[in-house]
Amino acid sequence: MITIDEFRLIRDYVEKHCGIHLSDDKTYLVETRLTTMMFEQGCNTFGDLYNRAVLDKTHTLRDKIIEAITTNETFWFRDIHPFSILTELVLKQYADEIAAGKRNKIRFWCCACSTGQEPYSIAMTFLEFIRHYPRLKPENIEILATDISSTVLFLGKLGRYDNLAITRGLGEEYRDRYFVQNNKIWTISDEVKKMVRFQKLNLQESFNHLGKQDIIFCRNILIYFSLEFKQDILKRIAALLRPGGYLFLGASESIIMYTQEYEMQRHAMGLYYQVK
Amino acid sequence: MRILSVDDSAATRHFIKKAIDVLGFEFLEAGDGKQGLQILQRENGKVDLILLDRHMPEMDGMEMLEALKANEKYKDIPVTMVTVELERDEIHKAIDRGAKNYLIKPFSQENLIGKIMESLDISL
Repeated sequence: MITIDEFRLIRDYVEKHCGIHLSDDKTYLVETRLTTMMFEQGCNTFGDLYNRAVLDKTHTLRDKIIEAITTNETFWFRDIHPFSILTELVLKQYADEIAAGKRNKIRFWCCACSTGQEPYSIAMTFLEFIRHYPRLKPENIEILATDISSTVLFLGKLGRYDNLAITRGLGEEYRDRYFVQNNKIWTISDEVKKMVRFQKLNLQESFNHLGKQDIIFCRNILIYFSLEFKQDILKRIAALLRPGGYLFLGASESIIMYTQEYEMQRHAMGLYYQVK
Repeated sequence: MRILSVDDSAATRHFIKKAIDVLGFEFLEAGDGKQGLQILQRENGKVDLILLDRHMPEMDGMEMLEALKANEKYKDIPVTMVTVELERDEIHKAIDRGAKNYLIKPFSQENLIGKIMESLDISL
């Protein structure tokens, strides 16, 4: 059983190293996710585990703790509205700019991509879009997918999903068009796979090196961050977006009280933000 | 990649197989250490990783680990020892005897895949 002092030590440690803020009701989550690791490390208490992580100069244990704490709930086309907004508004605007010779690429960044469902959903949305807009080619889009967990990135890169994972939010039409079935495993087609580049990234570290982006998906992750880190990351995302660039958040997330750098916009049933 | 799961629980082997299928690796299975060694013999030692349950009838995980490490043909195959919580001494014993890694039941699919990646030195 984790003590309140141990929980606070680990809470502060996790927040310091990846920005994720664990509220007091996450005590159980910390206990269940770190118990195995505590035993694996030969520690008697969560306090021992914390001390071992602090002393580990290779940061291996730190990364393991962060990986165990971060959640990886993910769906295809999650909340659907961001993808409708892409098709009906955003891609159309950029397609017109490409056609007019004002740009050549559309740059996407999914900043917490988990096992690949979100970046692949963006890629499929784009492929569907260009079926009706044949002047655009898959080469006109770059999708960068990052996460803090090596395991989920490895799985995303593989692009193989079992029967349960494939059903979560994905319609049969897209499944049959963009996946190849082999027994109980569905593999994303090469056409979609090659549009997405996976890369390990801790959002707490600088991401300026990623270069300017047109559209950023930062969905269902801010909820885990402290107020200060939310403000910090939103500021850095605003700086990374090209003027007028788009930010998409999770359906239940709002940023208006944390930052003045974005304009909240509404389209049909969905919300999105544009950098001012 | 070929992964051999040696575990007397058919449910655990089934769970592991599902994760191995997602990875696209080949899955081999045995219900105890004796069967595990028979499979290795049959496959001429061509296995990349053994997920070895600590507690099994006939020949248990520690006995099979010792047999593997004493055999020139099998001694370099990485072994991940699968145990239950509260067996820290067993984990240390397994590592001392040559297991490369360990996995504690109950484990999630991600947990398992993470351990497989570590054991096979797979990085992005």
